[in-house]
Amino acid sequence: MKLLRLVFKNALRNKLRAVLTIGGSAFLMWVLIFMMTALTEFTAWEGESATKTRVAVQHSSGLANFIPSDLETYLTSEEVTRHSSCVAKLNWFSGTYINQDPQYFFARFAVDHLVMREMWDEFKIPDDQYKAWTGMKTGCIAGAALAKKQGWKIGSKIPIQGDIFACDLDLTLVALYTSSNPRDEQNLYFRWDYLDELTEGRKLVGMFWLKARTMEDMPKLKEMVDARTKNSSDPTETMTEKEFGAQFTAMMGNIKVLVAGLGSIVLMIMVLMTANTMAMVARERVTEIAVLRALGFTAPMVLFMIIGESLVLTVTGGGLALGSSVLLFNVAKLSPVPDFFPVFMVAPVTIAVAIAGGLLSAIVPALRAANRKIVDGLRQVV
Amino acid sequence: MTEAVVRLVGVAKTYWRDKTPVPVLEGISLSIEGGEFVALMGPSGSGKSTILNLLAGIDRASAGTVEVAGQNLAAMGESQLAAFRSRHIGFIFQLYNLIPVLTAFENVELPLLLTSLSKAERKKHVLSALDVVGLSDRLDHYPRQLSGGQEQRVAIARAIVTDPTILLADEPTGDLDKKSEEEVLILLKRLNVEFKKTIVMVTHDPKAAATAGRTVLLDKGVLNAKAS
Repeated sequence: MKLLRLVFKNALRNKLRAVLTIGGSAFLMWVLIFMMTALTEFTAWEGESATKTRVAVQHSSGLANFIPSDLETYLTSEEVTRHSSCVAKLNWFSGTYINQDPQYFFARFAVDHLVMREMWDEFKIPDDQYKAWTGMKTGCIAGAALAKKQGWKIGSKIPIQGDIFACDLDLTLVALYTSSNPRDEQNLYFRWDYLDELTEGRKLVGMFWLKARTMEDMPKLKEMVDARTKNSSDPTETMTEKEFGAQFTAMMGNIKVLVAGLGSIVLMIMVLMTANTMAMVARERVTEIAVLRALGFTAPMVLFMIIGESLVLTVTGGGLALGSSVLLFNVAKLSPVPDFFPVFMVAPVTIAVAIAGGLLSAIVPALRAANRKIVDGLRQVV
Repeated sequence: MTEAVVRLVGVAKTYWRDKTPVPVLEGISLSIEGGEFVALMGPSGSGKSTILNLLAGIDRASAGTVEVAGQNLAAMGESQLAAFRSRHIGFIFQLYNLIPVLTAFENVELPLLLTSLSKAERKKHVLSALDVVGLSDRLDHYPRQLSGGQEQRVAIARAIVTDPTILLADEPTGDLDKKSEEEVLILLKRLNVEFKKTIVMVTHDPKAAATAGRTVLLDKGVLNAKAS
């Protein structure tokens, strides 16, 4: 602790160099934060869903195919309800709201409204609004964040033109839901019976969702449902919510690798840039370091001081980048790519990356400086 | 009789340039008693600074015994040598070698950071050392704000602040003007006479050597002792 004063004074000794290194680190950390957060966002849903007991039943050929609606009879039978507490139909509607501009794109689902609260219990819907939804077939509910983004209020008319389904929706916003996870507040749900009415009672079901009573019931449900439909013309594929999410993240496999690769390159540039600064520092201070060691400072102390200097520079740069990112994305809730990432949360791991960058940058110059012979250092003409 | 603070017995030092041995010291035996002020003189390359480095434990002898303050330096590891330097050695360099980002006070305080003294105790020691060298009014000055003579006096304060067993001075007046040179030599003499400090000083200057109680001549790595 006594040496910290010297560490800070040394770090800021050459003001221009310190400012340039801190500025460079801040810029690169900002890019890194952006990339790492994007990577975190890509996989966030997958991680969160691992704690849920929901099970998805879809057509084995994929989501584009419908499942026979009479499967619901089996899913609500005693054989299944021993392992699940509720069943809900869900259809991905697609369609167009206003126009094809990405700002008007959001997920629209037809859902069994009567079991929605039980199935997705992380959503909080005020009782009076939920009651209004049950009493209005053309009513819909939207995530609070989505409603804010689109400028909707309770009572807003939301017309959606169909594409997969040859019908248009004429919805009225009757409820807003919130969630502990702001990522979940980006969807719109309307009543499945309204869609069925518009499709002339054809009972088109995209998916069934089951809520397992316990985690242990999930594999049993998968096995039972798939065994039931195995030899039918429409076999199903039943999976946990985590597995369901993994289908989508798997599609982004290459993007994840690309983002991770670019992030690594940025980190390497930051390490090399700071390492160059620290190498200059160590070279310029050969005599000074030798003097310190002649006074009785040990090699580990010298190591600590040079690594400390590097950390002052990178952590200050990283702190600036992190602080501005937190203010922009977490506090002001501004996403740099709102259409792609409606919610953009800065991953705390970036702080660890700034520290790791500082350590990596200084380790080689610090080791060289600490291990140099004192007599060689004192002999050096500077 | 005072106990020997320095005891060199048959000390040799050989450097290697590529694969060629370059002997610098050969069979050096020397004893310095506590409270002595010894000047090491000799032409360039005679091995004066090498002896100083061996005494400080910042270089190791190729052969022979180097004992300082009763400790055999050859038997010590690097961390033990660092502790030894911190406790027993006060180093004064030709080019002062103060840390430019630290004030005079902070420079003098540096060796005390290695001790367990409290902040208040450190302050007391630093003020006392700066008082001895006559720079109590320059506590907050940075090295660039001091003259060469003043810088060297701060360096001397840094060397004595831990009350070391021995002061090692490598050409302490080599970079000073005449007036500052005299001030520094008077200061060293005072440290020896008044504070009973054992001092070993490397110098080219016969006038500086005359300040010491004993002059030891070195020529081509071989000792040639005489009393002055």
